[in-house]
Parts: sequence; structure tokens; C-alpha cells
Amino acid sequence: MRFITDNQTLEDLKILGRGDNSVMSIFNRTVTRGGAELLDELFRYPLSDANAINHRSGIIQYFASIKAVFPFSGELFDVLEQYLSHTDERTRLSPDEHTLGKKLTHLIAEDTEYKNIYKGVTAVIDILHGFRSFIDSIGQADEFPYRAEKNAIAELLSDPALALLVKEQSNKKIPYNKVAAYDTLIRFRHRDTIKRILGPIYHLDVYISVAKVALQRGFVFPRALPKEQHTLQLEGVYHPQLKDPVPNTLHMTPDSNLVFLTGANMAGKSTFMKSLGIALFLAHMGFPVPARKMEFSVFDGIYTTINLPDNLGLGASHFYAEVLRVKKLAKELSLSKDLFIIFDELFRGTNVKDAYEATIAITGAFAQRRNSMFVISTHIMEAGEVLRQQFGNISFQYLPTKMNGNDPVYTYTLEAGITDDRHGMVIIRNEGIIDILKNGKKKIS
Amino acid sequence: MSFTADKQTLDDLNLPGKYKPDSIYNLFNRVHTAGGEKLLDALFQHPLTDPDEINRRSELFRYFQQKKLPFPLVGESLNVMENYLGAGGGENFLIAMIGTARRKLLDSIVRDEAYVRIKTGLLTTIGTLRTFFDFMNRLEKEDGLDGPFGKQLQSVKKIFNDRRLEGLRTEWDAGEWEAKELSWLKVARYDHLLRRLLQTEMATVTGIIYQLDVYMSVGYVAALKGFSYACALPAAFNTIRATGLRHPRLERAVGNPVSLHQDGNMLFLTGANMAGKSTLMKAFGISVYLAHMGFPVAAEEMTFSVKDGIYSSINVPDNLSLGHSHFYAEVLRVKKVALEVSLSKDLVVIFDELFKGTNVKDAYDATLAVTEALSEYRNCFFIISTHIIEVGETLRERYDNIQFARLPTIMEGMTPRYLYKLEEGITADRHGMMIIENEGLLGIILSEKEKASLYPINPR
Repeated sequence: MRFITDNQTLEDLKILGRGDNSVMSIFNRTVTRGGAELLDELFRYPLSDANAINHRSGIIQYFASIKAVFPFSGELFDVLEQYLSHTDERTRLSPDEHTLGKKLTHLIAEDTEYKNIYKGVTAVIDILHGFRSFIDSIGQADEFPYRAEKNAIAELLSDPALALLVKEQSNKKIPYNKVAAYDTLIRFRHRDTIKRILGPIYHLDVYISVAKVALQRGFVFPRALPKEQHTLQLEGVYHPQLKDPVPNTLHMTPDSNLVFLTGANMAGKSTFMKSLGIALFLAHMGFPVPARKMEFSVFDGIYTTINLPDNLGLGASHFYAEVLRVKKLAKELSLSKDLFIIFDELFRGTNVKDAYEATIAITGAFAQRRNSMFVISTHIMEAGEVLRQQFGNISFQYLPTKMNGNDPVYTYTLEAGITDDRHGMVIIRNEGIIDILKNGKKKIS
Repeated sequence: MSFTADKQTLDDLNLPGKYKPDSIYNLFNRVHTAGGEKLLDALFQHPLTDPDEINRRSELFRYFQQKKLPFPLVGESLNVMENYLGAGGGENFLIAMIGTARRKLLDSIVRDEAYVRIKTGLLTTIGTLRTFFDFMNRLEKEDGLDGPFGKQLQSVKKIFNDRRLEGLRTEWDAGEWEAKELSWLKVARYDHLLRRLLQTEMATVTGIIYQLDVYMSVGYVAALKGFSYACALPAAFNTIRATGLRHPRLERAVGNPVSLHQDGNMLFLTGANMAGKSTLMKAFGISVYLAHMGFPVAAEEMTFSVKDGIYSSINVPDNLSLGHSHFYAEVLRVKKVALEVSLSKDLVVIFDELFKGTNVKDAYDATLAVTEALSEYRNCFFIISTHIIEVGETLRERYDNIQFARLPTIMEGMTPRYLYKLEEGITADRHGMMIIENEGLLGIILSEKEKASLYPINPR
């Protein structure tokens, strides 16, 4: 079954896109174009099977441990892809045409068509050789995660159809007749065989480039546990796009499956929730995560609600947009899926009394879905007290604010409890709004 | 000085914007010409602050609304005419004539299109001018030269009577114009006349055509939508009064009265979600802006003293990319407005859901402090809405220049119904939980048993 998420989540966490701030842009270091496309696909389809996740993460971890280097240049594959895509019979080299006259023409003017075919053929030969020696150089021990893939590749490479090509030496000039024969072999007779070899190479490109990022950024490889374990152990998680992020630690189980998060404005609630979401998303791809340690049971999906758009153009108020969002999540939960749900500033678009009642009702109901996990932030700290008395499985965390004279200072480190930090007025005073108005010129008495 | 409104305000009220289908600009954009569109855009960019100028302009719209005439010209022909006149003519008649002769020759030898193009342009232009002059004549006959459009009528009349146009006039008065095949010599002569000799006059004529286009289009929309014209007063009157005020984009909208003045310069607005607070505030902001343009407004009646500008804060974006929380974005917006207010400008300020991005206690303190400080500026008018109804109670005790209005909700069984009709007072309506129950949220998440054990009594 596919890991589920939605656009709201992808946008909240800035997962996709090649822009500077996306999570994908951190990993977008592949050498080949095919690798880049594959990376995109991996981001679009995270996994929801613990074995598959651990398998992929094991491979990446292995390449990180041997500090593997991708053995090809990107241009080689651009040449190859272009060459392979020309399947017009008329461009096929025919051995008979190699007359003296043709030879003379080649001496005088370069035949670009032939040159391109020659380049394509040598690219194939180079790739076959390079791939073979790379495969031979890794995984001498029996026990290594890439074993199955390695064997499959070895089998592909020893396909009798490719025997002639493999035998050819890559650094010598190849005569016309041979090129013509190889051209027929590669483009017309065994095109699919050649194409089948490209898949593993692009995978390899992704694995190695991700491994490199993990090494450079000090990301850690999470361990996926079977779904039934319902647990999340996340230590030192941080936001990958921040310069000096403060790491945080979070443990969740069915006995504490809901985190009720409070904190002043700007204390870092949204950032913490985003880093949590990003770590979980990457973990379900089998990718390394920005954290110190991570173990997680696999979820069916993740939903975040951090920047919910108002849609005031359609006449719906912010509150109503929130209600509809909660409804959508509720429906997913009712299908007894195990979800990870993040909700920032639940019910901020309504009056205090309503927000208070709604927060208690919805948070309490969410908490009953023990197999799913929730992180919910709110300004209505009063709701926290009521929830604490009613439910034993809600964990209360807050992000503190310390006052340094008149300036608020934020630690960005989670602490247990409910905060009553309120510094809104301090911020307003620091901006000098009331003074501006007091001292302004009033025209009429 | 021009009436000011910043980008945030223009976006909130959705005023300009050709490419936004719901913009107020597009509501009035029924023009037939590209030049008219440009002129309309310019009017939206530059609202006025001089009451006489405003009233003069709305007189013009009213005049054409009452005339109920269709736009006399064809947009297509106007485009041809504009292209033709814009291309410019020869230096003097001799050179122009030689040029025309050469083109005529090329036309008959190698079917060069330049000559045909010039001839078509010329004929279309003359045809358009004729219709236009006839139309202006008609207006003059009906209303004389002293009406709101009199100045334009006069300048067109002067051009029409220009001695140099005499030959052309006699020719089209003879009535054989269309039928007659124009000789190349005449083409050369009229071409030179219109494009070179009468260049400035023709520019004046096209300018007036665009004005006519805009005035008729705005007048038409006013009649179609039942808008009325606001009466502008000098700033010293310090008042904005409107009855039957509604959002111009809404069909069958409910009209409301709003009256702000020296002794009641602030309107404190409360109401449940979806009761129509934002719509009322937008309706007010849009009317104030349109009124300063001299445009018709969606109200039964409106009188206003001119202001220096308008600031609204209805959809403040987060700007999380700059690291600003929603609350901080709001604080910065309020600061900006506070700075403008403190410079003793006469402003209209609209704040929807002030400080919604923070906790209750802060929102209460902040809303109270800012509202109190603002209300002292009697030369500025404020409409402020909030969920924190407790602020209203405190303000009511302390100030007598604040008006309190609410948008009520009535319950019909379990379904809330909104009246969209302003009442005096502060609301006590809360229907957030009702909406949650109507959507059946708890029932979806919980089984009936769980629900009963968790919430034995209805939370309300």
C-alpha cells in the first residue's frame, strides 16, 4: 500500500520543487538526468513497508560507509540517451556503404551523423565496462544490502547479447564495419537490454548522491519498525534548512500518542512541527534524516496543517477552512489508518470560547485513536488544563520564552508542561506602536 | 496630493487588476477600446482628493447614465484608426504625395500592400470621425455646450469647424463618399491632412473618444447594478455617511447604513463566524475608494468628506519565509498604519480580526491598547472587528466616540442563519461548536460509545 499524504502537507513542509528552500533541493545532487528523475519519483512515492524502507536505507548507508563515488560523468548518459532515442531505420549504419568514395568524403568533411553514432557506441561500451568494474569492486563480504541488486546487475551484464560489446576495448579506435555492427546491435536488436541496464545505474546514482549528502550534513539513518509496534523515538531532530538549528527530542507511543504543544509567538512551534514532519517524511522514503537518532514504526500516511489558506474568495472563513480540514483528517482516521497528524494553531480563526470548546472536543477525540499520532499546537492554553485532567495519554510540551530585560529570548528547546508565556504586548511595546500614537499630532480636539 | 492606498489595501479590497476576474476594476470594465481600458486603469490608480473635481467627474458619469446611449463607435475600427494615425505621415505635402504615388505604382505593378493599407486606414478613420462628429453634434443639440461634457463638445466642435477640414466635410456632406472610388491624389491629400497637419487635433479627438468610452461604460454599469453617486464635501466636514451600503460584487446583497463622524469616528464590529463582518468592511472600503474616484458606489446614498487615504488589514499574509509569525506580521501592519495616522493625515482604517494570531490574553490587551490609542484621532475613521468581544465591553465604559455594531446570527433548530443586517451593540453569538457538530466531526472520529463516554452531555 502506498504511503499517503496530500498537497497541503507537501507545501507546509516544502518537500517538493527544485527551489532553494525545498527538502528535495538538499538531496538533488545526482550526476545523471535519469537519476534526478528517479529522485523526484522517490519523493513522490514514499514507502509504507518497513522491510522496503530498511532495505533502501541499508543500501544508502552502505554506500555512505564505503564513501562510494559514482563512476560515470553525466554527459556520458546524455550522449547515450540521445543516441538510443534515435530509432529511425534510415539512420542505421550499413556495412556495405563503406566505399572508398565515402572514406574520401570523411577525410574532407566530417560526417556528423556518423560521429554521433560513433560517440553513442563508445558511450555504451564505456558504460558497460565502467559498470562491471564498479560492481566487481564492491561488496566482497557475503552479507551486504546491495547483494540482490549486485547479482541482478551481474546477470544483466553477462547477457550473451552484449558479449561482443563487453569484449571490445574501450580505449581503442573502432573501425567502421564494427561500429556499424554494434550500432545495429545496440539500437535495433537489443535496445531493451541496454535500457534495462540504465535503471540500476540511475538508482545507483541516487543512492550514492544521497549517501554523500548524509555524510556531508551529518544526517542519520532511521530504523523502520513494523507498523504494529506503534512507536516513535526521535532524538535531536532539527530543521534541515536552518543555519543554526536547535535539536529536540520526542518519544511517542500509544500511551502518549498526542503531543499538546504550547508556546509564545515566535518561540518556534511551527519550526519544530515542520522539522518533525520532514524527518518522518524522509524516514518513510528510506532516506537519512536531520536528527541524532531515529526509530519509528511505519505509518500509513502523514498530514500536516501549518499554513492553511483562508479561501476567503470563496466566502469561507478561516474557521470554516479549519473545520473542513479536520473533517478530512477525521475521515481518513475513521478508515482505521495509522496516521501521523500535525496541526498548527488549531482553531485560531474563531472566538475564544468557541476555540476553547472546539479544541477540547477535537483534541480529546483525536487522542482516542491510539494507533495514530498527533502533534497539536494551540494558543488556548486553558484547554490544556482540562485535557490533562481528562486524558492520561496526552503529553504536554512547550517551547519556552525567557525575558532578557525587555527583550524576549527563545531557547527553542522543548520542555514538559504547558506554558503561560505571553509576550504579545512586549512585542507591541518594543515596536513602539502605542508611543507613536500617543505622541502623534491630533488635529481636532 | 493623491488619495493613497497601499498594495495590501488594494489586494484586500480587490480593487485594480485586469487579470483578476473578481476585481472591482473588471466590474466597471465594459469599455470598447484599448485606450479606454488604459484610461480606466489610470482612474483606478489615481483617486482624487479635491471634492470639486470628484463631483465634476461623477456628474459626467451620471450624465451618460441618464442619456442611456450605446457607444457609437466600433472598437475594431478604432483600433485601425489608432494604428493609422499613430504611424505618422510625410514631412511635407510634396514628399507625401510622391510617397503615395510610389506606393500606388507599386500596388498596380507588384501588388504591394502598403497603398491598400493606407487607403483602408484613411477610409476607416474618416468614417469613424464622421460617426463621432455626428454623435457629438447630437449631444450638443440636445444639451447645449454647458453640460458636464460641454468642454469636450466644444473642443471637438472647434476641430470639426477647422478650415482645413472643409474640403473633406463638403465631400462627405455630398453623401457619395462610400460609393466613390478615391483617387490616389485625394488619398495623398487627406492622408497628409489627417496624419500631419491635424496631428494634435486628431490626438485630442482620440483622447475624447476614450473618455467617452469610459464614461459611458461606467454609467452603464451604474444603471445596470443600481449604484448611486456619492457627494463629496471638503475635508473639514469630517464625515462619511452611507445608507444601503453593500458589496458591489454581490448580487442581492443586504444593504447597511454606516455613519462615521467627529463624535463617532470608530465602529467596533462584532459577529459570529460567517456572519458577514469581512464583507461589510470590504464593502465600506470599496465604496470609500470608488467615491474618491468619483465613481458610482454600491449604496442608496452616500455623502463623504474627502480623506487622504485608506488602509486596510483584512488578509495579512504570514510571511513565514522572512521568519515572521502571523502575529508579528499583524504587529508590523498595525505599526505601519499607526505611523501614517500619527502624521496627522485624514485616513480611513479598516482592521479585520485584529491580532487573531496570538493567545487570548495578549489579543485582549493588544486590541484594547491599540484601539484606545487610535480612537483619539478624531480626524480619522476606523472600522475594527474582533472575536474578543470583551474588549468591546471595556471600550464602551471608557469612550463615547466609539459606535458598537454587530452582525447577528439566528438559530433555526441546529442550523445557523445569517441576517447580514447591522444592529447596535456587541454580539454574544457563538456558533463555532455548532458548525463542528453540523459537520459531524466527532461522530466521524469516534464511535457512538466512545462519544457518549467522553462527552456525556453536549458541550454546549
